[in-house]
Amino acid sequence: MKKYVMVHDENLCIGCQGCSVACRNENNVPDGVYRLQVHMKMSGTFPRLKTDFIRQSCVMCEESPCVTVCPTGASFKTDNGITLVDERLCVSCKYCLLACPYDARFVDPITKAIGKCTFCFQNRLSAGKEPACVTVCPTDALVFGDVNDENSEVSKLIAKKNVEYPKAHLNTKPSLGFIKNTKGGRYE
Amino acid sequence: MAISRRAFLKTSAGIGTLAAFEVNLGANSALMNAKSIKFVPSVCEMCSTRCPIEVEVVDGKCKIIQGNPKFSSNKTSVCARGGAGVNQLYDPKRIVKPLIRVGKRGENKWREASWDEALSYCATKLNEIKEKYGPQSVVFTSKTGESHTQLMNFACSYGSPNIFSHWSCCPITYNIVLNQTYGGGLSRDFANAKYIVNFGHNLFEGIVISDTKKVAKFANREDTKLLVLDPRFSVIAAKADEWLPVRPGTDLAFVMALIHVWIRDGKYDKKFVEKYTVGIEEVIKAVKDTTPKWQEAITGIKAKDVERIADEIYAKAPEVIIDWGHKTTTTRAEYQRTRAIAIANALMGNFEKKGGIFFGKSAGTFNKLCAEELFPTLANPDAGFKVPKTPRIDGCGEEGSKHFFIPRKHGVLMDIAPAILSQKPYPIKGWVSTRFNHLINVASTDEVVKAIDKLDFVLSIDVYLNDFANLADVVLPEATYLERDESIQNKSGTAPGYYMRNKVVEPIAGTKSGYEIFRELARLMKIDEGYTWKDINEYRMQQAKGNDKLIADLIKNGYVNWKVPQVYYREPKFVAKFVEKYPNATKFVDENGEMSSQVKFKTPSGKIELFLENVEAKFPGEGCINPNHMDVFGGHEFCLMSGKTAIHTNGHTQNIPILNHLMDQSPVWINPKAAKQKGFKDGDTVILKNKFGSVKATLMLTEGIREDTLFVYHGFGHVTPDLSDTNGMGTNQSVILDPADGVVCGTMVTNVGVDIIKA
Repeated sequence: MKKYVMVHDENLCIGCQGCSVACRNENNVPDGVYRLQVHMKMSGTFPRLKTDFIRQSCVMCEESPCVTVCPTGASFKTDNGITLVDERLCVSCKYCLLACPYDARFVDPITKAIGKCTFCFQNRLSAGKEPACVTVCPTDALVFGDVNDENSEVSKLIAKKNVEYPKAHLNTKPSLGFIKNTKGGRYE
Repeated sequence: MAISRRAFLKTSAGIGTLAAFEVNLGANSALMNAKSIKFVPSVCEMCSTRCPIEVEVVDGKCKIIQGNPKFSSNKTSVCARGGAGVNQLYDPKRIVKPLIRVGKRGENKWREASWDEALSYCATKLNEIKEKYGPQSVVFTSKTGESHTQLMNFACSYGSPNIFSHWSCCPITYNIVLNQTYGGGLSRDFANAKYIVNFGHNLFEGIVISDTKKVAKFANREDTKLLVLDPRFSVIAAKADEWLPVRPGTDLAFVMALIHVWIRDGKYDKKFVEKYTVGIEEVIKAVKDTTPKWQEAITGIKAKDVERIADEIYAKAPEVIIDWGHKTTTTRAEYQRTRAIAIANALMGNFEKKGGIFFGKSAGTFNKLCAEELFPTLANPDAGFKVPKTPRIDGCGEEGSKHFFIPRKHGVLMDIAPAILSQKPYPIKGWVSTRFNHLINVASTDEVVKAIDKLDFVLSIDVYLNDFANLADVVLPEATYLERDESIQNKSGTAPGYYMRNKVVEPIAGTKSGYEIFRELARLMKIDEGYTWKDINEYRMQQAKGNDKLIADLIKNGYVNWKVPQVYYREPKFVAKFVEKYPNATKFVDENGEMSSQVKFKTPSGKIELFLENVEAKFPGEGCINPNHMDVFGGHEFCLMSGKTAIHTNGHTQNIPILNHLMDQSPVWINPKAAKQKGFKDGDTVILKNKFGSVKATLMLTEGIREDTLFVYHGFGHVTPDLSDTNGMGTNQSVILDPADGVVCGTMVTNVGVDIIKA
């Protein structure tokens, strides 16, 4: 069984928002909401500064609070670790929005159903393609694949680099990891 | 505007904003039910880089753009602007019908016209001007690329020498400097370098995917060093191993100090300099006093850091790149800054070395090396068009002019408005522009507006009713790049390659490409005897010299290349691999395993010219580097710089909804200490003022900038009434730029001294 994992290397990410535009066009994301954002955060005092590049999207928890609280079973996990919403069952009660510690879900302003990142499960993965954000990333900061295949690029990356997971202390076991930014201006 | 030119949205099923409603059905069911899905390879035009792309077309509608995987430097990558090409194509604010002005100029009152009527009107007006004032009295401006070539063909046919590209407000300096110093353009081997010195060449916001990818990976390696000099903590500065917040405009002093140290300590590639360069004696003289201590007072970078960095770079030579950047417009000394960088590279002996700099090698070069016609070369169907030899308004290429060294097909944009207003050297009565927003991109916006008002006829070809188009008499709606078939373009780097823009969808509401517009206009005016082709298919076939397989490959794949081993002439290992595959090339190999006979510089001396005799003869003192004209403050408290954002391209993309939603503002960066001293808070509206003008700005307090420097993203501050989402948003820096150009290259300078006052 495949288990899909995505890693965002904050050192390679340049915050160009290519991923965000591709995501919106691929998934017809309506204005005003987003499945994916990359936040750029500058910190420090001139000239000792750094800029972090933080991906904000569903982290595909193994222990998903959004699935647990869903009263209708609309929020569910696929066998390969992807959290999805079945729009036919969703009553838009928004419990999942409250339960999600990653602020990764939204109410679609048009359909009123709950929207979120799907790793492009139906529209790209099922056709053997990578998620749109991974495909277009200009610096290859996103690596995606089957973590159960030790020869996959993502497995090799995890073996080589220190991959961290957001809010790891919550024990939700995310499948979206990141490599922490180490870059910053060091001029005295 | 009153007319309903957006009706095309209603008639074309399933496009444009209607797409948003498809979400009701779910993106996935739409895909599963799709009758047809195809992938069309083409070439991006959302900025000037032109990355090879592939567009997914579902039931005749462009869905998503990604990079063309056949182009290995980019693979499937595309940036935000590139991805937004779809959103430009279906932007309801696009113009799709020719417009003829009915109100006063700039009043935004138009009527729709047929193409026949609009083109005949343009022909009549242009003929009238030619008869009354002569053909030289129409100026032609455009951004560089195929649209510039087509504009130029038309201008030459019409008889005007006054042809301009965007060069003088962006890349002119490095183009001229590399040509003068090395005899041609150079490529940078970012992938294999060990040390890169970067002077604010912000490849992480002004994105060139192939280079951006390489530099990002370079910066992420442990065994390399990226040194960035920039008064601002840009994204590339944020990725640097060392960032030096240099005082604006003073990079030149830093480079001259590096050269001083290398020469003082004998730490430069003497053998290379002796064999391949001329003029080292003049360089030695020029940098005698430019010590690290001397530069400290100018740049703010400590002398000991310069000493350390000079040693660091030399230790890594020749696998070093001292990057000349792209937008080479820092100070009036820009020419000498870029020259100093070109000389610094030569001293490191990095030419034709892995990890250094090299000449791009085209099919012709490889055929010569292999002594066989292995790779197809292209013919130029436009070879017959020559820029008229009559005097230009800016004197480019003319004896005795300060613009002698500037190519006559690129010109100096800042000279247009003064020539119109003063009627000197002769009257200008018409202006034809294709996809170039002069009001946002060129200094002295207010003067330009006054100048346009004096003209008899203004034609703008654009996708939007942008600032310049709004002042035109006729606006012709250009097809976007996704709706155009264009010519074969050279895409050679270390190996020969070609790519070609293919039409992805039929033009919406009959918009036309630059090829079609100018060809039809020339035919209509009966000035088309120079054209050897009727349409783009004939053009392509002539280029390919009848090689229909090449064209078929380019239609199918968008990009073609041949598996040729990379060759750097001064790298024996690469040379050996090359001759193993192409034994005919063995005759070019020296005893030491190099191909030094192939290292040829198309300069007067045949060598790298560290000193330029021809420049010295025309401009005494400029033949070798000098530290004059570096000041960008002009007695003001602050220097205002501008630069690129990854979200927008200059003044063109602000209205594209998806990009507008990501970034619709462009506040001016100011250091909190400087703001506090002046009593300004974050978000305050202020006036930036100098003797050239004044402009409104919103302040953004950030630690990421020097206390004496301000920064604004270029391309905002539109005044065009039709684009309501962009009108009045952000600051147009061009309003307050110094129109005086830099020496030798005529470069516009985008750093300017300003004071801030309360609004």
